[in-house]
Amino acid sequence: MTAPPLGYLCLVLHCHLPYVRHPEHENFLEENWLYEAITDTYVPLLRVMDGLVRDGVDFRLTITLSPPLISMLRDPLLISRFERHINKLIELASKETDRTRNQPEFHRLAEMYLERFLYTRHVFTQEYRYDLVGAFGRLQELGKLEIITCGATHGFLPLLSVVPSAVRGQLRTAVAHYEETFARPPHGIWLPECGYFPGLDESLRDVGLQFFFTESHGLLYAEPRPRYGLHAPAFCPTGVAAFARDLESSKQVWSAEEGYPGDPAYRDYYRDIGWDLDYDYVRPYIQATGQRMNTGIKYYRITGKTDQKQVYDRAWAMEQAADHAANFMFNRERQADWLAPGMDRPPVVVAPYDAELFGHWWFEGPEWLDNLFRRLQGSAHVIEPITPAEYLERHEVNQVCTPCGSSWGHNGYNEVWLNGSNDWIYRHLHTASRRMEELTRRFPDPDALTLRALKQAGRELLLAQSSDWAFIMKTGTMVDYAVKRTKDHISRFTRLYEQLLSDQLDLEWLKNIEDQDNIFPDLDYRNFS
Amino acid sequence: MTAQIADRYDTTELALMVVYPLLVFAYWEVTPERCQQALEALGPEMDGARAVIRMYDISLIHFDGTNANHVFDIDVGLEAPGWYLHLWTPEKSYCADLGFLARTGRFHPIVRSNIIHTPRTTPSWRTDEQWMRVRFTRRRKPERTRPIEFVPAPSIGRQLSPEELRLEQERMRRSMSEAVSGYLGGAPSSEQGRR
Repeated sequence: MTAPPLGYLCLVLHCHLPYVRHPEHENFLEENWLYEAITDTYVPLLRVMDGLVRDGVDFRLTITLSPPLISMLRDPLLISRFERHINKLIELASKETDRTRNQPEFHRLAEMYLERFLYTRHVFTQEYRYDLVGAFGRLQELGKLEIITCGATHGFLPLLSVVPSAVRGQLRTAVAHYEETFARPPHGIWLPECGYFPGLDESLRDVGLQFFFTESHGLLYAEPRPRYGLHAPAFCPTGVAAFARDLESSKQVWSAEEGYPGDPAYRDYYRDIGWDLDYDYVRPYIQATGQRMNTGIKYYRITGKTDQKQVYDRAWAMEQAADHAANFMFNRERQADWLAPGMDRPPVVVAPYDAELFGHWWFEGPEWLDNLFRRLQGSAHVIEPITPAEYLERHEVNQVCTPCGSSWGHNGYNEVWLNGSNDWIYRHLHTASRRMEELTRRFPDPDALTLRALKQAGRELLLAQSSDWAFIMKTGTMVDYAVKRTKDHISRFTRLYEQLLSDQLDLEWLKNIEDQDNIFPDLDYRNFS
Repeated sequence: MTAQIADRYDTTELALMVVYPLLVFAYWEVTPERCQQALEALGPEMDGARAVIRMYDISLIHFDGTNANHVFDIDVGLEAPGWYLHLWTPEKSYCADLGFLARTGRFHPIVRSNIIHTPRTTPSWRTDEQWMRVRFTRRRKPERTRPIEFVPAPSIGRQLSPEELRLEQERMRRSMSEAVSGYLGGAPSSEQGRR
């Protein structure tokens, strides 16, 4: 038997995007969120993990794949549009190698991008066969990756809970979707926006979930006070385990000021050729409306707080990524040294991040992760990467506490999703949730057509509930789109509700919105009872 | 084209939602009929009556309508779509009535809200401990009624002293506001309009 490690590291990446799919438009700007995330984050992360497996590195990573993201990654229309997107990028990068042929430092980078995009297309089509979800699933089967679920459409549960059946609808739908996707139930959940309220664990237990994550004060302010603070999970009275985010490791990675991603050597996200180059030259690669936008090709490094950016030096950035991985490991070791003497088990450091930080915002993030796992392997198990499932198998005894209501939004409670910019949505979300519950009572045994309308009503409700819309309203950009999505789904739901009650279904219109809002084809409308 | 939605549902309701421990958002709707009924019930006392939200602090009790720990009124504009209610103590349970308060002091309720619980803002001083053994089940769902076995607390480990606790709390508050503003605020881990 090997000696227990000094500490555990539980790295969690939260992969989620709202369901954005517009077959009614040939080009749709917000669909780019998915295409950029595939190119910048999901494929690079998969390559890192595949490489670690190939080289025998025994890593552990926990990843949320939210149901909307899984659905989009498996949607034929969006997949074909992603191919179109990557082909355009290849075309642009190819022109760039030509344009920069007399500027060696830019030319090298143009070639890097071209190679990168060609490689992404190759692995996406040839190796993963257009199925990234399957690729994640295989890593889970190898025991290296734990895929957890999320709210069905990332609904912010503390604010939906005014109507408890809304919470049940989000959870039941998510768990059923996970089971359809991976042929086994999920062990745990990433609560959307880390949003917890006391009593939520009962709903989690009811759908068979065994653990979740909270923001730091969710556990630190738990009742009674947890003996091991943030560094061991607590059982809620229901037996569902709560793991809390460690502050120190979080800050090191995502703080804009002090975190690694702000290093001068790293690539600057904001300097993009979509804004920098001649308008006519980039015109085919920006918005259909002619407005400039990011293309994904960026030649400068962060440099410092200056507009005079220096050209990106890939080799230097890679050195920094390796150094930062070493620094992260060093700090975890010191942290474990300090924590371990007061505990009857190795402390666990839970480090969750938005997955899109890795690769999309922080270009070198995937390489940092790669370096980190390789170093941990070489460190003779001082710090051992672990999944929550493994932790709970090894440590079956934990303290019983009720976590405190909390989220990972600004100031730690609900204000990001409830403020003057978005408070108007809740009247509609709650009314629709109550009406959906009413429909489940009124139609216990629907005929085929009524069933279609009931399912569609459930889809419209779920899509309206995405926390993304309230978040976007708060941040102040793309607000029109978020307002439109909220109103469109509420309006479609209300019309379906009224048609169902008056027994006057408009078939043609139903068919239309079924094609448009096609998430959860097998949705059970009884999830909302 | 964005769909138009009605801003009222022809119903009478009052909903409370927690914004943060010292702030609650309330929204409501009162049908003209229910409003009329209230006016008639108050009769001559209606002259000078104010629309208020009557908050009941029902922390740790089973509220029967009369036994609230504490009752207070907050003036609201009945025509407003919602109202932010500022509070002064965290970690309470509330429900509320929306109604008219006459000059005579008589309160006529129209509709009662849901119950909310405002969260804590500090670590708990309760240090009594319970420990539990729960068997994790891999690749299948646990029984809903899986047995919960209470076990003795581990003999090692200690509680933080009050000073350590205060320091830890300070440290957390500092790094939380920094980390979170990094996340929501600026480069490189956020972009306006998307995460």
